[in-house]
Amino acid sequence: MALITVPPDITFIVLAAVAIIGSIMALQAKELIYGAISLAISFIGIAGFYVFLDAPYLAMLQIAIYVGAVVVLILFTIMLVRREETDEMVDRPEGGEGAIGLWLAGLLSVGIAGVAALAGPNLPNAPPPGNLPVSELGPVLAVEYPIPLIILALLLSAALLGALVLAKVEK
Amino acid sequence: MVALTSYLIVSAALLGIGVYGLSVKKNAMRILFAVEIIVNAANLNFAAFTRYMNPPSVSGQVIVFYSIAAAAMEACVGLALILVAFRLNSTIDVRKLNKLKG
Amino acid sequence: MLVVMFLTWYERKVLARIQLRIGPLYAGGPGGILQPIADGVKLIFKEVMIPYKADKFLFIWIPLALVFSAAVPFAVIPFGQHWVIANLDVGLVFVFAMTSLFPSMILIFAWASNSKYPFLGGLRSLFQQVAYEIPMWISALSVVMLAGSLSLVDIVNAQTKIWFAIPAFLSFVVFFVSIMAELERLPFDLPTAEPELVAGWFTESSGAIFMVLFLALYMKLYLMSSLVTVLFLGGWWGPAFLPQPVWFIIKTLIVATFIIIPRGVYPRIRVDMLIRIGWTRLLIIALANVFLTVLMLNSGVLAAWGL
Repeated sequence: MALITVPPDITFIVLAAVAIIGSIMALQAKELIYGAISLAISFIGIAGFYVFLDAPYLAMLQIAIYVGAVVVLILFTIMLVRREETDEMVDRPEGGEGAIGLWLAGLLSVGIAGVAALAGPNLPNAPPPGNLPVSELGPVLAVEYPIPLIILALLLSAALLGALVLAKVEK
Repeated sequence: MVALTSYLIVSAALLGIGVYGLSVKKNAMRILFAVEIIVNAANLNFAAFTRYMNPPSVSGQVIVFYSIAAAAMEACVGLALILVAFRLNSTIDVRKLNKLKG
Repeated sequence: MLVVMFLTWYERKVLARIQLRIGPLYAGGPGGILQPIADGVKLIFKEVMIPYKADKFLFIWIPLALVFSAAVPFAVIPFGQHWVIANLDVGLVFVFAMTSLFPSMILIFAWASNSKYPFLGGLRSLFQQVAYEIPMWISALSVVMLAGSLSLVDIVNAQTKIWFAIPAFLSFVVFFVSIMAELERLPFDLPTAEPELVAGWFTESSGAIFMVLFLALYMKLYLMSSLVTVLFLGGWWGPAFLPQPVWFIIKTLIVATFIIIPRGVYPRIRVDMLIRIGWTRLLIIALANVFLTVLMLNSGVLAAWGL
C-alpha cells in the first residue's frame, strides 16, 4: 500500500522544507527576534503553497497581512517587552514537559497524517482541470457569504477597539 | 502534479509543531507564534481541499480569506494582552502569570 | 540598475536647480553624469563599520532583502503592450504585498543597529510607512473599480480613452501623497531628519551596506513612480511616433521629478501630525473617492469613455 502514489516534485519539497523548518526555528531560536524572522519566512513558504494551489490572491493576501502586518506587530511587541530577565530566560523544556509535548504533538500529527495517508488511494491524485480565476472570488464572497463578511467587519472594529483600550497607558 | 495527501501531511506536520510549541514553551510570545503556526496549518488544509474538489470550487478560498483576517485580529488582541501583562508583572513567563488578581 | 544610477544624478541636478546651484559638475563626463559611478566607487571603498554589539548577520542580509523586494515587483509592471515579464492576474496586489514587506525589514534593520538613535528613527519610519499604506490601497481600489481587473496590463489597457487621473482625481492626489510618505521623501522626511537624528534608521550603515540601501531606496522611488504612471497616467499610451516603452519611461520620469521637487521646496512635517494626516484625512478622502467612483460608474457618467 503505497503511502503517496505520486511523488511530489522538487518545488513542493522545497516549499514544505521552508515552511516546516521556518516554524521549527520560530519556536526554538534563542532570540525572539530571530524567531519572528523565521516565522515570517515560514509564512512566505505557505504563501508559496497557495500559489501552487491556484490561489494567487490568497498568497498575496497572506504576504501582505501576515508578513506585512502581523509580523510587524510581533516585532514591535518583542522590542517593547525586553528586560534582562527575558533575555536570559532559556526556553528549554524542563522535567517531563518536553516529553509530554513531543508525545502530544507527535500523536496528533502522526494520527492526522496517517489518516491522510491511509485514505491516500481514495483521494484525488491530480487537481481537476479548470481554473479558478480571481474574479470569481468576489461574487462568491458577496453573494454566498455576505453575513460572515458583515460579522468580520464588526469583529475587526471590536478587536481594534479592544486592543486600543487594553494597551492604553493609564496616566 | 502533487497528490492531495502530500499537502495534508505537510499540514499535519505544521499542526504538530504548533501543538508542541503551545504545550511546552514558557515564553508568551512563542506561544503566540505557535498559535499562528496552527492557524496557518489549518488554512493550508482548507486551500488544499478546495482545490482538489470536483467540480472545482472557490469556497475554500473564501474560508481561508476569513481565517487570515480573523487570525490577524486575534494576534493583535493577543499582543495587546501580552503588553498589558508585561506592564503589570514585568515578566512574560507564563508560569509566573498564574495569579488572577493583583 | 542603470535607471537608479541615472535617478540619483537626476535628483541632485533637479534639487540643485531649485536651490539655484549647478549641481554635481566635477565628476567628469558631460554635465557630471559620471557622478553616480564616483559615488559608488567611494562607497565601496569606505570601510564597512559594524557597531560593537550589533547583529552582523542581519546587518548584511536585510539590505539585500530590501533590494530584492524592491526589485521583484518590476516583473509585473508593464512597460509596453507586450513588454511585461509576468502578467499576473493579481498583479496589483502582488506589488502591494511586496511594499508591505518594507516596514518590517526596516524595523529589523533599525533594531539590528543596537543603538538608540537609529532605533528611534526606525520606529518613526515604521509608523509612517504603515500609516500610509492604507490610503494607498484604498485609492488604488478606485482605479481597480474603474478598470475592472487587478492585472496591471488590463488596467493600462482600460485607459485608452481617458487617463484614470481625471475621473479618479482625488485618489490620484491621495496616492501621490502616500507615495511620498512611503518613500520618506520630504516633506515627510522625519525619519531621516538630518539635524535631528543624524541619518535615521540607517545611521549605522556605512560603505557597501549603505550603497545597497541607497540602491533599494531609489529603486523604490522608481517603482512607485511607475506605479503612478500605470494606475493613473495611462501607462504606455501615447501618440504613435515614439515606441511605447519610451512613453512609459518619459511619464515615469515626469512623475519622479514631481516627487523629487518638493524636497527642495517644502518644510518638514512633524511626525505626529504626519501620522494623523495619514490615518484620518487621507483615508477619508480616499474612501470618499471610492464612493464617488461607484456613483459615477453606476450612473453611467463615464460611459462616454468606455468604462
